[in-house]
Formats: sequence, structure tokens, C-alpha cells
Amino acid sequence: MSEFTLSLIITLVKIAVVLGVAMGLGAYLTWFERKLAGHIQARLGPTVVGPFGLLQPLADGIKLLTKEPIIPRGADVPVYYLAIVLALAPAILLFSVIPFGPGFTLLGREIKPIIADVNIALLVVFAMGSLAVYGTIFSGWASNSKYAFIGSLRKAAVIIAYEVVLGFAVLGVVLLAGTLSTTGIVQAQIDKGVWFVFYQPVAFILFLFCMLAESGRVPFDIQEAEAELVTGYNVEYGGMKFGIFPLAEWYLNVMALSAIAVVLFFGGWSGPPILGPLSPYFWFLAKMFGLVFFVIWLHWTLPRFQAKDVTEVAWKIMLPLALVNIIFTAVVVYMRGG
Amino acid sequence: MDWLIFGVLSLWLLISVGGAVLVKNPIHSILFFLSAVLATAGLFLALGAELLAGLQIIIYAVAIVVFYVLVITTIPWEKVKRFEGVYKKELIFGVPLLLLVFAMIAYGIYRGKLHDPAIMKADSVRDLGKTLFTSYLFPFEVASVILLVAMIGAILLGRKEE
Repeated sequence: MSEFTLSLIITLVKIAVVLGVAMGLGAYLTWFERKLAGHIQARLGPTVVGPFGLLQPLADGIKLLTKEPIIPRGADVPVYYLAIVLALAPAILLFSVIPFGPGFTLLGREIKPIIADVNIALLVVFAMGSLAVYGTIFSGWASNSKYAFIGSLRKAAVIIAYEVVLGFAVLGVVLLAGTLSTTGIVQAQIDKGVWFVFYQPVAFILFLFCMLAESGRVPFDIQEAEAELVTGYNVEYGGMKFGIFPLAEWYLNVMALSAIAVVLFFGGWSGPPILGPLSPYFWFLAKMFGLVFFVIWLHWTLPRFQAKDVTEVAWKIMLPLALVNIIFTAVVVYMRGG
Repeated sequence: MDWLIFGVLSLWLLISVGGAVLVKNPIHSILFFLSAVLATAGLFLALGAELLAGLQIIIYAVAIVVFYVLVITTIPWEKVKRFEGVYKKELIFGVPLLLLVFAMIAYGIYRGKLHDPAIMKADSVRDLGKTLFTSYLFPFEVASVILLVAMIGAILLGRKEE
């Protein structure tokens, strides 16, 4: 077997594993979120389907798949369907640059647990994060409904504003690590023996806010606003066509961005070897789901901002803060001869 | 293997560009344009210019196209100029000019060193950053000032104030 075919097969296996795990976990996060929300609000959450309601995601999936498909009159049908793809694809592609552990040797081959170890990994993250805006805009526009369109415009404004802040917030970490590659950033933290969250606390908080805004989580979820816009841009979608949007936005995006946050600020897979060769994966997933838990926790605790405040906070407070943070970091790195 | 990737990407690019010019609905046109931008980014990746591919997606596919999309989706559809047939006169003048420019660029690339993969750099991000902030610092800053002026001008023109 030639070298090319072999690397192609390895990559396909990696893609299958990451896709299967991400989609499965995404589905089960719905169960986790409802359970958690229930307990936060002194309810029980799902209890009927299976033990502890564990089969609830399956029941939901069957319900969504067997619903009658309805397309609103005057909708632009190709764009209506394309919007679903445009919403899901960037969220999945984010997983392609996440390193889940250090490289290991299998049958005499060096294998890295990352799908694409490119030297522009962080650029890919920004690009995919902003490409998600098209799913929102086109779903709102194509469904030919005022509510959906207002929701999609709000979301577009939020994504554009927060994507800028996200880019500038992350630059501090890039300056410290000296590379844009995700494995390189993790390696830099392991070599220095310190997580970058201690050097870049401001950047981490800004990143967290951007993550909440981009994935439509409270308190920046003005584009969803269940009570005012009946969840905004996806209101005209039904069945599994509807199910894709929360899956991509609330679960896949939150998981992927949490993983990126772990890579940037929490030392990636580093941690004491308590599980032998599996401990890097354990630490990575533990940190990542710690963040996911935090996001869901916030969602069921806080009220939301007003529509105008969300973008104003981004442009007038967070962006200047991010710029000051970069200049400060750059000066310090330069002084210390980095 | 390279020719297969290149073939698929360039076919994708040609179809998208054709679609962007030929479809009547402006939203479909902008979607084809977006697809063309993504295909170009893919071509850059296939040629080993990773930074260029990333910037192509961030700057063109997102920052620029998204504003076209916002403008097009919010335009009142009654006032939009309708399709008024193929512009034949412009086509007669346009096509020879296009072929001429294409031939000139192709000749330039063929004679120059652009198609030589031996001069490719390993760490293009670092090199580009260094070049941009040392040898080309002044043009770079001038370009940013021009963009700033254009932005202020657009805001002034767009404001409705007496």
C-alpha cells in the first residue's frame, strides 16, 4: 500500500471517530442540558424514557425525523435547504484542528490525534466561526418570514462584532506561543510549564464572552430570544431541519469552542498521568466538558442583555480591552526578548 | 494525485463563477460567488499557500461577502433593477479583451518564477509577517489609511443629517 493511500485511510478513520463522537455527544448534551436545567430550577428534567430519561435524545431524534416536512410559502427552496448545510458544516469543521492528545506511534507510524495539523489552525478557527454567519442569514432570509429575518440580522450583527473581538483576544496567546498551530500552542504551554490563562486572564474572559455570543448562549443570546422572537432565524424550520440548528449552534459550537479554549488557555492535554497512556485524552475531555458545563450553567442562571447592549458592549468595551491587552503583551514579550 | 485535486477544485471554481454571472436571483448569485471564493481558497491550499487560503476565507468569504449579503437581503425587492436581457454590445468588446488579458497573465506566469515550487517557503506566516512589517511597512500603513478614509467617507455619505 502506498504512503498516500495509508495516510488517506488514517485521516478517514480520524474523521469518522471525531465525527461520531462529536455528533453522539452533541445529541447527549441535549439530555444533559435538560437534566441540569431541571435540577437548577428544582425540577427533575426528563425521567420517562429509559432510566434517568437516558433514551430521551433517541426519542427526540425519532420524533424530529418522522415529522411532516413543511416549507413556508414563498420560501426560496434551494437556499432554504442550503442554509442547514451552511449552519452545520462550519461547526463540524472546527473539530478538524483540535488536538486531543500528543502524537503516538502505532505499528511503526507516527500518528497525531488531530485531523489537520496545519500551521494556520487558529485562522481556520476564526474562518469557520465567521462562516457560520451564512447559515443564520440565509435561513432567516430564505424562509420568507419577518420574525426569522429579524432574528437572523441580529445574529449577523452579533457574530460580526464578536468575531473581531475573538480574533484580537486570541492574538495575545499567539504572541506568547509564537505560532498559530494548535499543537504548537499546547506544546509551548507544556514547555513553559504554565497555562496561558495565568498570563492572559483578560484574553480568556473575552474569549469566553465571544464563545457565548457566537454559540447563541445566555447572556448574549439576543438572536434567539425565545420569548420575543420565538427563537428567531430558525422559526420556519420543522422536524430534523429544525433540529440541526440547535445541534450545530448550541452543542457542536460550544463543544468545539470549549476545546479551542482548552487548547489556548488551559494547556490542552497536559496533566498528571493518572490513567497511563489514556490520561492526556482524559485531561483534555475533562477540561473541555468543564467549560461546556459552565456555559450550560450560565444559560440557565442569567437573564439576557438588551439587543443594542450586546453589540455595544462588544465594540465599545471588549474591543478596546482586547487591543490594550495585545499591546501590553507585545511590549512584555519584546522586553523579555521573545 | 495533484492533477485530480486541481481538476476538481478548478471545475468547482469555473462552475461557481459561471453561476455567479448567469443566475438572475441576486442571492443565488452571491452564493455562487461565495462558492467561488471557497474554491479559490481550496486552490491556494492545494498549492501549499496555507496562509493565503486562510486569509482568503476570513477576508473575502466572510468579511466582504457578508456585507454584500446583508445589503442584498435588506434591499426592498420592488425597487431592484430587473433582468433586461444579455448585454450583447458589451459582450463583443469584453470577450476579446478578456482573452488578451488572460494571455498576458499566462505569459507572465509562464516566463516568470511564480510557477516554481522550489522557492516555496516552509513557514509562510512568519515570513509574511516579517516582510509586511519591515520592507513593506510604509505601503502597508498607507493602504490602511486609505481604507480608513474610504470608511469615514462612506459613513459621511450614508448619514442623513441636515
